[in-house]
Formats: sequence, C-alpha cells, structure tokens
Amino acid sequence: MSHFSWIDGSIVGLYLLATMVAGLSVRKYVGKVEHFLIAGREMDVYLGVASLAATEFGIVTCMSAAQLGYDNGFAGATVGITYGAAMFLVGYTGFCVKPLRDSGVVTIAELFEKKFGPRIRWLSGLVIVLGGLLNMGIFLRQGGEFLVLVCGMSPGRLEITMTILLCGVAIYTMAGGMLSVLITDYLQFIVMSIGLLAVTFLLMAEIPWTTMVDTVRDKYGEAGFNPLVNPNLGWSYIVFNSLLNVAVAITWQTTVARLLSAKDTKTGQRVYTATSFFFVCQFLIPAVWGIAALATLEPGVIPIGGNTANAMPIYLSRTVPLGLMGLLVAGMLAADMSTDSAYMLTWGSVIYNDLLAPFRHGRWSEKRGLLWNRAIIALIGVFLLIYGLWYEIQDGIWTYLTITGTIYLSSMATLLVACCYWPRANNWGAAGAILVGATFPLAYLVLQKLPATQELAKSIGPNYSGIAAFVGAAAAMIVGSLAKDLILGTPRLGDADGR
Amino acid sequence: MAADFWWWLLMACLVWYSTITVYVSIRGAWDIRGMLARLQALNDDDPEQ
Repeated sequence: MSHFSWIDGSIVGLYLLATMVAGLSVRKYVGKVEHFLIAGREMDVYLGVASLAATEFGIVTCMSAAQLGYDNGFAGATVGITYGAAMFLVGYTGFCVKPLRDSGVVTIAELFEKKFGPRIRWLSGLVIVLGGLLNMGIFLRQGGEFLVLVCGMSPGRLEITMTILLCGVAIYTMAGGMLSVLITDYLQFIVMSIGLLAVTFLLMAEIPWTTMVDTVRDKYGEAGFNPLVNPNLGWSYIVFNSLLNVAVAITWQTTVARLLSAKDTKTGQRVYTATSFFFVCQFLIPAVWGIAALATLEPGVIPIGGNTANAMPIYLSRTVPLGLMGLLVAGMLAADMSTDSAYMLTWGSVIYNDLLAPFRHGRWSEKRGLLWNRAIIALIGVFLLIYGLWYEIQDGIWTYLTITGTIYLSSMATLLVACCYWPRANNWGAAGAILVGATFPLAYLVLQKLPATQELAKSIGPNYSGIAAFVGAAAAMIVGSLAKDLILGTPRLGDADGR
Repeated sequence: MAADFWWWLLMACLVWYSTITVYVSIRGAWDIRGMLARLQALNDDDPEQ
C-alpha cells in the first residue's frame, strides 16, 4: 500500500508552484532567438553542472538503472562508470567538443554545413530529430507508470495527470527557452538530490548492506558483481556502451546544448569534467534501489518474464513513509520535468535551426523566430502525448534508449570526428555514414516487432547491432569519402572542401 | 572483493551527492544572478528585441 498523503501532496504542490514561477519569471530576459536557444552563451560552470546533471537524469533513467540493478545486480551499474569516464575524458581532452564550441554554432548540424554543405546539414538535422524524438517518446509513459505505482494513483488518471504535467513543462519552456530550462534545472537539481539522498539513506537503514550483497550472490553469483562474466552484459555490452557514451558526450544535442550555451570553450569543458561523477552516481544509486527491491519483494510480485522495471517503484511504495514520500515524488518529478523541458527545447532548436534553414529566406526578425520556436515546442508536446500513450516497449528501458539513440549517435559521432579531424572527409562519406548508421538500429527495431523475426533479433542482440552501427558508419564515411576523391578528384584541403 | 568495490563506489557517490551538490547549489545561484544581469544589459543595449 502506498503512503502518499495530503502532507506529501502539499510538498509536491509547493515544488510544482515554485518551478512554474521560476520558469515563467525569466521570460522578460528573452530578447533574441540566441537567448531562447542557448541562453545568449552566458552560462557559467556551476549552473551548467546543475543543469546537465538534472537534464540527463529523468524518471526513465532512474527506472532503467533500477531495472539494470534488479536484473543484473551491481554489475548493472557498470554503464554509469563508462558514462562518467566518457564525460570526463571528453571534457578533459576537449575531443571534438573544443572545435565544436570554438566554431560558434547553435547545433551540431550547423557545423556540418561548413564541411559537408547544406544538404548534409539538413539530413543530419532530420536524423537528429528522428532519433531524439523516438528516444524521448517513452519518457511520459514511464514517468506516469512510476507515479501510478509509487503514489497508488488510479491508472485511469495516468493520462490526465501526465497531460497536465507536460502542459506545465511546455508553458515555461515556451516562455523562457534555455533560460527557463537552466533556472528550473537548477531548482530541480536541488530537489532531486535531496530526494535521492533521503531515500537512499532510508533504504540503507532498512536493509543491511550484507543482505543486498547476499541476495545478489544468491541470485546471480559472480555475474552480479562482475559485468564481464554476466551473460546479459559481457564484453559486447561494455564496448557498445563505451562507444555510445563517448558519442553521447560529443553529439547528444541535449548534452552538447550545455557546451554551446557556456560562455566560452574552457567553461564548457569544465562543465563536462565536473558533471562526470554525477553520471556514476545516477546509475549506481537507482541500481541499489533495484537491488533492494530484489532483496525484499516476495516472489510473484514481479512474475517470471514480467516487467522488472516496476520492481523498484513497487518497493518504494511499500517502504517510503509519509512526508518522505512527498520528497521522493517531488524529486522524481523534478528529475522528469528537467529532462522533458531540455529535450523539448533541444529537438525544437534543431527543427528551427537546421530543418527550417532552407525555408527561412531572408533574415527573420527576432520576434518571428521566437514565435516559430515556441510553436515547434508546442507541437513536440503534442507528439509526446500521442506517441507516449500508444508505444509499448519490447525490451528493457535502457535497451530501447540505446537503440533509438544509436539511430543518430553512430552516424553523427562519425560525422563530427571526421569533420574535426579528417581533412579528406566529404559529403559522399557523410551521406553514407548517415544511411548506414540509421539502418542497423532501425532494422533491429523492426526485427524485434515482427513475430517471424523476433528470434533472429534475440540471437543478434542489441549490443552487436549497436556496435555494427558504429563500425558501419565509420566504414561508410571512409569508403564514401575516398570514392568521391577517386571518381571526381575533389580537392583535399581547405575548410569547405567536402561539399 | 568485488562487493567491496561496489560498497566504496556507493559511499563515494553518497559523499559526492551530500557535499558537491551543496557547493554547486551555492555557486550556481551566483551564476544565475550574473547571467541574468548580463542578459539584461545586452537587452538594454539592443534596439531589436
């Protein structure tokens, strides 16, 4: 039985009110499209750290990390280590992110135009938006299911609750753009951190560490501690997630938006390095919640083959007491709203900046640009409502997120590395990389859905499909670029040689 | 041995979240103040807004 009371409702209501007021109050500072999309490049280090840590941790991340812990023991938190390491290394070395921020662009696709021409910019924008929106499409339903399970809310009220929540997020995001996102992210970072810590300390007081360790050892043996011997994980999982995490650090537009909003390149790199350990925390802490659920839920609560993502919220609904439940729900709402607002703004910025670029003949006034940006965010909100209510996830949450992310991460990472470091890269190679990079994950998603090919998809597995996308995209870039050199004898040096 | 690794990593996470979060929150408030002041100045100087 859930312990959600009027006290908890008051805590959640107060948090929601503060967020709306803060989000709407910065509208008066938005004078230009540049202010709306990248905060006028005025973001400093600590605000960037709070914003990035809040944005890349939502209910869907929390549930997927807890599911990894429930299904794989402590080894399930390995992805947090690879993620943190990727963020630190990219921030410390400036790999790709330094030339990207130095270029002064608003989106990654805009940089590609300088090297590969306007068609590749448009095609890149399309792939980024498709991959990003598919990835974000499940956020609303997962957030709603978490609230239903934790608060004991009637499932019939899920749709209306999530619609109201999404409308609130859309309103303040449309009002202040990146400024609203940064300010509300800051508030949400604080509320989310308090919720995460309070629940973890409560959980560790309830369940001794030795009980959790013994449970993992009984269920999974050594595989619960060592990802290399875990049959669900192994080398292919670590290699794929390492590739994916580096690609996220350099090309995932919601992450890169903080780099591009930073006041200079050095600040952007410091945001990356300072945020890196938060990613370790944000996977390990929910994984421990999942392990706590594994240790305490009686057999049958989650049937064999059932949705293990529900284990953690069911466990929390039984364990977290009055008052603290409000803090937990406010913290999780904070995590989700910060993610939703940043994602809506970011994918909207790519639609405006890159997909609409060929249609923006002449210079649009700032007022017209802002109006279009706000309309695009509203349309993304409508898409989220429709897609989020009907799409059913086939595999685990993290698997879905990685597959849909790979649609664009494999090709965009290849394009960015080639754009920054390979003078012979050109538009033939870029087009090939985009095509090949998107084909593998999309084909895998289709194979998963068709009854006749489900077994084949299972035998390939998401890790090898993902690795193939990265290797294939890189190979297509090399072969395509060299083929154009060979056939057309295009020039090899200079900044705009690859068109 | 492997369990010890996860124990110490979890402790590091809890210490990190308990301390660094407070520091980031305090410094972040100053960042917000500075950012909004600079944007206000930019808007005041710019005729097309």
